[in-house]
Amino acid sequence: MSKIKAESTSLLNRIVNRIRGVSRLSPTATAGVLVILFFGVLAMFSGGFMTHDPVSSYPDRILEAPSAEHWFGTDGNGMDVFSRVIYGAKFGFGVAIPAVIISVLIGVPVGLIAGYRGGLLDEVLMRFFDGLRVFPSIILALAVVAATGQSLINVVLVLGFLDSPVFARVVRSEVLALRSSIFVESAIAAGNPTWRILFVHLLPNSIQGAMAQTAVRAAWAVRISATLAFLGVGIQAPTPEWGAMIRQGAEFMITGQWWVGIFPGVALIFLVFGLNLFGDGIQDVLDPRRRTEK
Amino acid sequence: MVIPLLVGVMFLTFMLVRIGGLDPVGLLAGPTATAEEFEIITEELGLDQPLWKQFLIYAQNVAQGDLGESWLSNRPVLDDIAARSVVSLELLFWGIGIGTFIGVPIGLRAAFKPNGRFDQSTRILSLLGFSIPTYWLGLVMLFVFFYLLRWAPPGMGRISLMVSPPDFVTGSYLIDSLLSSNWRAAYSSLSHPILPVICLAIVSAAPIIKQTRAIALEVISSDAVRYARACGLKVKTVRQIVFRNSATPVLTFIGTEITGLVGTMSLIEYVFAWGGLGQYGLNAIVRGDFTAVQGYVLVLALFSVLIFLIVDIVVALIEPRVELN
Amino acid sequence: MSLLCVSDLKTHFIFRNINNQLREAKALNNISLSLDSGRILGIVGETGAGKSLTAQSICGLLRPPAKIVGGTVQFDGQDLLTLSPDELNEIRGADIAMVVQNPRSSLDPLTRIGDQLVRIHQNHSGGPISVSQRKALEMMVAVGIPDPEQRQKAWPHELSGGMAQRVLIAMALMNEPKLLIADEPTTGLDVTVQAQILDLLKVLVIQFNMASMIITHDLGIVAHYCDDVAVMFAGEIIEQGSVCDVFLNAAHPYTQSLLASTPERLNLGSKPQIGGQPPDLFNLPTGCLSQDRCAFMTDICKTTPPFKTIADGHSARCHHAKPNKTKTQKKGSRSDG
Repeated sequence: MSKIKAESTSLLNRIVNRIRGVSRLSPTATAGVLVILFFGVLAMFSGGFMTHDPVSSYPDRILEAPSAEHWFGTDGNGMDVFSRVIYGAKFGFGVAIPAVIISVLIGVPVGLIAGYRGGLLDEVLMRFFDGLRVFPSIILALAVVAATGQSLINVVLVLGFLDSPVFARVVRSEVLALRSSIFVESAIAAGNPTWRILFVHLLPNSIQGAMAQTAVRAAWAVRISATLAFLGVGIQAPTPEWGAMIRQGAEFMITGQWWVGIFPGVALIFLVFGLNLFGDGIQDVLDPRRRTEK
Repeated sequence: MVIPLLVGVMFLTFMLVRIGGLDPVGLLAGPTATAEEFEIITEELGLDQPLWKQFLIYAQNVAQGDLGESWLSNRPVLDDIAARSVVSLELLFWGIGIGTFIGVPIGLRAAFKPNGRFDQSTRILSLLGFSIPTYWLGLVMLFVFFYLLRWAPPGMGRISLMVSPPDFVTGSYLIDSLLSSNWRAAYSSLSHPILPVICLAIVSAAPIIKQTRAIALEVISSDAVRYARACGLKVKTVRQIVFRNSATPVLTFIGTEITGLVGTMSLIEYVFAWGGLGQYGLNAIVRGDFTAVQGYVLVLALFSVLIFLIVDIVVALIEPRVELN
Repeated sequence: MSLLCVSDLKTHFIFRNINNQLREAKALNNISLSLDSGRILGIVGETGAGKSLTAQSICGLLRPPAKIVGGTVQFDGQDLLTLSPDELNEIRGADIAMVVQNPRSSLDPLTRIGDQLVRIHQNHSGGPISVSQRKALEMMVAVGIPDPEQRQKAWPHELSGGMAQRVLIAMALMNEPKLLIADEPTTGLDVTVQAQILDLLKVLVIQFNMASMIITHDLGIVAHYCDDVAVMFAGEIIEQGSVCDVFLNAAHPYTQSLLASTPERLNLGSKPQIGGQPPDLFNLPTGCLSQDRCAFMTDICKTTPPFKTIADGHSARCHHAKPNKTKTQKKGSRSDG
């Protein structure tokens, strides 16, 4: 016998239950969100967390081990590592968010058009993307940034451009699948102009896969920009960016002053990890096949 | 099918180096060059020709094996690259080999009991592996195992500075020293690669674990495996079926991973001063060595194409559904 | 004593949805049937009625979140529901064999079919490989595969649908099963091939004295090849009996409309349809599950209808079923848009 259970349907209750439901389905996504929020807060309100000015140096306190005064010690220029690590969170988001936005803005329309139009345009684009895949992405990013000039803006533009094929490919395959479906055919038959079909009919249905990718691509962007900085390309010292800080710390690692290089690396790992957790969790939730519920 | 790909790759490489504001002439000539010298160098490099002509000349040269001269080392790029390739291949081979050897079984095991404790912990670990910057890992390992524990040799190249390298046969210190019974050199050349190989193995294992798991899960829910279960086949037999049916997509994936891993390997070479192709290339890019970069990127791309070909051939051999072209 | 006797089998899907609510879909309720050697039972119903689920529940092939929550499955003296997964695994493929839909994609694509036949025999019976190989050839002959010596080296993707299905039947026979379950064995095959396969099945059932269960949505197959039939709807068996009894004297309104919808029995000009949707498995109505779409519904239908015996071996789950009556005149055909 089934009884209709009277469930409290107040808005607050529903929100709490939805959050519980999602976090039950994917604890990884929840953990990821928490980490991202943590760094987001650090990035936005760094002033409230830093103990010292990140770019002023204390010439009499070079390479001091972590202490009560300098929680993460000081680096080779006598700057406080802790505050520099906190400030560096800004670069993480400052590069990743615009880069991913650019990738989406380029990749999604390209994928839509290539998938919908097909034909020569599609062939050429796909061959071009396939050609790009032959190069290791790090080397590619490095070469282009080194060649086009070493500024933060360039890094963002290059990363955004280089990552757009991922989104283009995802959207394209969704569009290809949907192109022959009934609702698209009837939209065409009804005489809708192409741009309308693309953006009103196809886009909302093919965007899911792309959205699931954003967090993971953001993680990649953060990683690569730090790698570039580590190699001395794109961002120069004394900017407190994590990759650049690791570069500084490299020479001191084998002489025992581990704190200069290790702490920025830990921060980098955590942010990238959080983004990856979130991205992986979201992919689980969005793609029901991946969920094998007990 | 391969030829257009090669031409496309060459073209991309060609354009890649030219899109920026690099001034190869200025770099070669130096700040004290006269206008006349500028002209001579420009002519020599062929940069006064229209772009399409430059490409033709370039393509011709490459076909004949001439990759130009590096202005940093004043030697033909091809020689520089050839000398270092074996070195990098060693590192790559061991790194990926170990990464696959650990990664595939872990991914499979995670797929057999999805959402179990093993699965959840490996997922977290592999995501962590995705997030660790390779160069940082190398530095930390140097710090812990060299500075703190004194177990590993310093990250300065492939052999101890106190030991003279073995006579050149293959270019691989390990093989050469074994071949000439140079035990001191053999020991040294065995202990040096351990840390970089471990780094590379960890970083390559993470995506392999994740993808193997995903592939295995798909295979497990396929008609064939469901039917195998309905036939009452023993669990061991069913797992064999899953493994063999996952082999092709996993191999294909590893093939594409190798491309990305070449990039990571370059970073490791840089950190450990390995003296291989990766380090050479990174230096060239950062210093703006025009021709060397061109040659380096081209060789990398060709290597990737070769790997894809090899994977295709292997797949055709093991898959009865594919015909050899 | 029947070979297979299922009593009150209940299978539910239990999980939490995205709003963290515990959900339970009652996919199979009170399934009871029995089967003797040498007889073919047809299980028929619309898509989603629970036919395949019944077979999977019997064989222990359920995957989470599906769970058996009640009932017994007596097979050859044992209750299958009390056995461990390993014990069930030994029975599957040997005493109980399955033939499934999509034969071409169900065979292992990386193993030659001869080797697959040997494998299933070795898996359950062991012994020297030569014995298994000989048996494999015998079975291929039994199912009508021409030139078995050559064919055994074939890969699954080289076979046609009909040929692949014959291989599946051969696989099922390798270990001399007592019960053969065929789940939609001919769906997707050409019509001419369908007839061949079903003829083959019928011959083999008699030859090997197996009990057999054919799951299908095609009434014609049931009429031609089965001895007994069980009609399923919304996870319940609503009518069962011999094919003659049920098809000629259908007592349940649902069965009657099913039979009336087949093209062969249409009156000119009128096409009765079965209106409405199947009930929501998460919120089953109290009483008869067909109440929302039945033309004969009255107040009593809100209580659970018992199985009423119509004749010897023929029963139907309907309050209005009358024993041994010919087809009643309908008040008016109910047609929904």
